[in-house]
Amino acid sequence: MRVIWYAVLVMLYAPLAVVVLYSFNSVNSSAEFVDVSLRWYRALFADDSILSAAWNSAVLALVSSVIATAVGTAMGYGLYAHRDRRLGWLIALIYLPIIMPDIVYGIAQLSFFSRLASATGAFDLGLGTMIIAHVSFQAPFVALLVYSRLVGLDPRLFDACSDLYAGAWQRARFFILPTLQPAIVAGFFLALTLSIDDFVISYFTSGPESVTLPIFIWSAIKRGVSPEINAIATLMIGTVFAAAAITLAFQYVRARRIAS
Amino acid sequence: MSQSRSPAATEAGRDNAPRADTAISLRGLHQAFGPDAVALDGVDLDIPAGSFFTLLGPSGCGKTSLLRVIAGLDSPDAGTLSIGGRDVTRTAAHKRNVNTVFQSYALFGHLDVAANIGFGLRMQGHDRATIKKRVAETAAFIQIDNLLGRRIDQLSGGQRQRVALARALVNEPDVLLLDEPLSALDAGLRATLQLELLRIQRRLGMTFVFVTHDQDEAMVMSDTVAVLNQGRIEQVGAPAALYERPANPFVARFMGHSNLFAIRAQDAEGLTADFGRLAGDFRPGSHVLLRPEVMHIRPADAPAAGGQGPNVIRAQVRERLYRGSRMEYTVAAGETTLVAVDDNRGQGMYDIGAEVALAVEQSGVVTLDG
Repeated sequence: MRVIWYAVLVMLYAPLAVVVLYSFNSVNSSAEFVDVSLRWYRALFADDSILSAAWNSAVLALVSSVIATAVGTAMGYGLYAHRDRRLGWLIALIYLPIIMPDIVYGIAQLSFFSRLASATGAFDLGLGTMIIAHVSFQAPFVALLVYSRLVGLDPRLFDACSDLYAGAWQRARFFILPTLQPAIVAGFFLALTLSIDDFVISYFTSGPESVTLPIFIWSAIKRGVSPEINAIATLMIGTVFAAAAITLAFQYVRARRIAS
Repeated sequence: MSQSRSPAATEAGRDNAPRADTAISLRGLHQAFGPDAVALDGVDLDIPAGSFFTLLGPSGCGKTSLLRVIAGLDSPDAGTLSIGGRDVTRTAAHKRNVNTVFQSYALFGHLDVAANIGFGLRMQGHDRATIKKRVAETAAFIQIDNLLGRRIDQLSGGQRQRVALARALVNEPDVLLLDEPLSALDAGLRATLQLELLRIQRRLGMTFVFVTHDQDEAMVMSDTVAVLNQGRIEQVGAPAALYERPANPFVARFMGHSNLFAIRAQDAEGLTADFGRLAGDFRPGSHVLLRPEVMHIRPADAPAAGGQGPNVIRAQVRERLYRGSRMEYTVAAGETTLVAVDDNRGQGMYDIGAEVALAVEQSGVVTLDG
């Protein structure tokens, strides 16, 4: 059993390790590793198109995650607050963007935005449409995190707020938000990783000015895998790992708080 | 606690309580959660100010629904509710000066004990210094001052119960509502906290409305008990009145009586029940209750048993239970089973199968209207 487990881990992480290793290679080869060098990282930071792609990725990830966290939290609370009114099917609907194949979702977004653009004159493909598209698939994840936290609470806690003189706003500020804080923070970092991660939906909803890192890598790789790409990939792996680690840390704290 | 409610100031104040005035007045309350789920079916009730008032009934009888309507957490479909003479039927929960101790305690996990207790004062906009002072006073009064810095998940069940009580009392409500607050605790702690709740209520002279399904708990603690069944009030009275003069068979059974019989026929000299005739002057009614402790069990052939006199039931012992201070006998009188108790004074026990005579004292024969 243990051997199988190690084999799975190797399968998962060996390709990543190769990418990270060769990003520090001193020669332009993916066959032999000669010496440790930061040469490709220097080349990376000298390349304006890469830097602009990185900037686009960062703006897209941050803006979409902030919006998705706010929207998703409201959605999660709404689902919880109306759970008694036979709105369970809404919870099923919220899974749709999660289970939909990215390629289908991306094409749907593309045709939606081009219709919208020809109808209104706005919504030209670019960072704006990408943010909308990202929010639409990030928000359900946040909503489900928030919803599951709320479902786990004693419903009498909400009564206790009203009983102890808290109006709706005070209840939101002094009870609901502090209680949801771990779920909201975890949701934000999950949204961040999802956005940085995404290629397919971004590809369909981006414009000429809004090339993100995954799109840049995709077009660069058509000319062959360069060590520069390894360096970008390594930096992205680092970012995503950091975000995932923070998410897990918050969920761990939350789980411990509930368990004890 | 404020100075006016400090223990010293109210120590002697209990004797004039319960005061004559009414803390809560309910008129014609109806509430349904669907055609088959009637929670309250026309409840009229006056709860005296300063009293320990208990809503007693089996689960699903509407007692918690009634408590939630008083708290403002649910609103009734029809009827009116006044607290302290003011109609609050349509007043939101957070604007009522009523606080609740929830069955699950519902303490805030993201706050420590002190912040939990101070929550209500904070929501009402009191300044930090006032909150800190009143939280400290209340914690000292409930004897949890050593817990103020703890997190909720570091507390035992009994400690949580006290924190929930302090969180409600610190606001000095007109009425304190308690929804089965002791039901999650083990028997020993429960008995301790029953006495402590009673002591706190006596000291503060505050109106307590206590919900329970346990008739022993209701009898021990209450000034007045209202028995609820299927959303209706069956009887309101002091514990002794409910036990000794239950209004109907439901109340009698709920108060722990088992010797309850339909009256077959009634005439000028007495009545006929399942087990035979009882002589004497009875109020008109449909059921008769024989309280076990006023049926004296004697050997069937003892001359002192009253022999063939009135109100003697001849029976045979079927079961006996040793309860320490008393013996409990289940006896058969014809087709009927009766329970009789006998004080245990070392006089020996009747064997199973023994023929006995039950001499029924007139004061133990109660006719029920329902």
